[in-house]
Amino acid sequence: MLDITALSLRYGKHMALNDISVQVGAGESVVILGANGAGKSSLLKAIAGLAQPDAGAGVLFNGTSLSEIPAHRRVEYGIALVPEGRGVFGELSVDENLSLGAIPRRARDGESQRRAGVYALFPKLAERRRQRVGTMSGGEQQMVAIGRALMSNPDLLLLDEPSLGLAPIVVGELFGALTKIRNSGVGLLIVEQNVKFSLSISDRGYLMEAGQIVGQGTAEQLSNSQTVKDAFLGSPGDPHNQTQGAIK
Amino acid sequence: MLTSTLVLGLVLGGTYAMAALGLTLQYGVARIMNLAYGEFIITASFATYVLFTALNLNPVVAIALVVPAGFLMSYGIYFIVIRPLAARAKDAASLEIDSILATFGMLFLIQGLLLVSFGSNYTNYSYLNTPVEVFGVVIAANRLLAFVLAIFFGGGLYLVMTRTRWGMAMRAVATQPESAALVGLDINKTARLAFALGGALAALAGVVISMHETFTATGGVVFTMKALVVVILGGVGNLLGALVAGLLLGLIEALVSTYIDPGLTLAATYGIFLLMLLWRPTGIFGRAGSR
Repeated sequence: MLDITALSLRYGKHMALNDISVQVGAGESVVILGANGAGKSSLLKAIAGLAQPDAGAGVLFNGTSLSEIPAHRRVEYGIALVPEGRGVFGELSVDENLSLGAIPRRARDGESQRRAGVYALFPKLAERRRQRVGTMSGGEQQMVAIGRALMSNPDLLLLDEPSLGLAPIVVGELFGALTKIRNSGVGLLIVEQNVKFSLSISDRGYLMEAGQIVGQGTAEQLSNSQTVKDAFLGSPGDPHNQTQGAIK
Repeated sequence: MLTSTLVLGLVLGGTYAMAALGLTLQYGVARIMNLAYGEFIITASFATYVLFTALNLNPVVAIALVVPAGFLMSYGIYFIVIRPLAARAKDAASLEIDSILATFGMLFLIQGLLLVSFGSNYTNYSYLNTPVEVFGVVIAANRLLAFVLAIFFGGGLYLVMTRTRWGMAMRAVATQPESAALVGLDINKTARLAFALGGALAALAGVVISMHETFTATGGVVFTMKALVVVILGGVGNLLGALVAGLLLGLIEALVSTYIDPGLTLAATYGIFLLMLLWRPTGIFGRAGSR
C-alpha cells in the first residue's frame, strides 16, 4: 500500500532523513521506534506532504506517486495524519471537527455511519459533541484528532506519538481504540516512544536512529530484541540508554 | 429620551456591524489587513447612487447587482495583488505587513479613481426618506430598513458560518491554519474565497449605507477605522463577535453623544478600543490562545 524508497530530507544543512525505505502493506500495522530527534516525525510529515523531501525520493501509495501531490490533496488518496500536538480545531466543537474531517470527496458517502463509528469508538466524545475542543483534556483532544482523521475514510492512518503527554490510563484506552481501528482494516503507521503499547498493536516495526533506518523486524522479534530492550524498555542497567546498534 | 437613544444607537450599530463583517473575514480568515476596505464600501455606495439616479433602480434591488460585483472584483484583486504577496510571504506576520502596505496603496488608487469620476463633493440620494415610528421613536424609514438588512444578512451569514461545512472550514482556517491541510482544505483557496466574500460584504455595507448617509470619495478611511475597531472588539475572525460589537459600539456612541457630548463620540470609540487592546486583546468573546 505505502512504499517509501530512497527518501532523504533536509532542513537547511541538517539532514533529518537519510535514504529511508519503509513499506506498509494494506491493512498492516507498522511502528517506527526511535529516540527524540531520530527523524520519526519528519518521516510522517514527508509522507503526508507537509515536508518536502529531496528529489529522487519515491513515495508510492496504492501504486500512485504522491511526490507532486500537495499535502491537502493527499487526504483524497487515503492518507490521514494525526500530527504531534494533535492539530485539532480548538475553537470548534467535537462535532464540527469531525465534520471537517469528512471534507474529502472519498469521505462523503457513509459520513453519518463513520461519525457513529467514531462515537462508538470514543464514548467520551459522544457525551460532548457540542463541547469546544480547546476546553478538553489532552487525551480527549487526541481522540478528536484520531476521530477527525477516521472521518476521511483513510486506508492508512499516520499517528505521530499519540501517547505523548497522556496519563497511563488514558494511553491504555487510546491503544485499545487503535487496536479496534486496526482490526477494522485501516492500515496504521505509528511513530512512538511507548514501545510496549505500540509493539502490542503492530505487525512489524522499524528502528530509527539519526535519520536512518537501523533495524527492522516483526513485532515479536523487536519485543525480544536486546537492542530494543536496552534502548526503550528500561532494562535494569541504564534506563536512559540510547539505541546502541541494530538488528539486521 | 433613553428609548430614542437606544433605538438610534442600535440602528447606527447595525451599520457598523455590517461594515465590520467583511473586514473580520478578510483579516481573520484570509489574513489580509485590507486598509482599502472603506474604499470598497464607498465604491459600492457610488455604484448604487449611479444605478438609482441614472437607471432609477431601487437600492434594495441594487444589492443583487453590486454585491456579486464586489465579490468578483475582490476575487480579481486577490489574484492580481494579494496572491503574489501570499506566495512569497515567509510567515503570517510578513504577509500582514506586506498586505498593509499594498492595500494602503490601493486605498489611494481607488480613492483617486472615485475623485476623478465623482469629484470630492458629498453625495446622497433620497430613498424612503419618510418618518416611521418605532417604540415611540421617530426615525427615517431608510434607517430602519438599513437596520433590518444588517440583522438579516448578518444573522444569515452567522448561520452559514456555524451550520455549513463551508462556514466551519472558514472558522477552522481563521484559528488553526496549520491544520487545514490535514482535513484536505486548501488554505489558499479558502483565503481567496474569504477575501472575496469580505469584498461582497463591503459592497453590501456600501449599498445599505448609501440609503441613509451622505458619502464622499475621501470618506472610506473612517469606515475602515470604525470597522477595524469593531473587528478587534469582536475578536478577529469572529462573526458573531463583530455583530455584537458593532451594535455595542453604536449604542455607546449614541449614549455618549446624548448624555455627555456629541463631540466625544469618536474619542469614546477609540478610548474603548485602547482599553480593549490593553486588557482583552482577543476581543470581548476572545479566549486565551485564540490567535
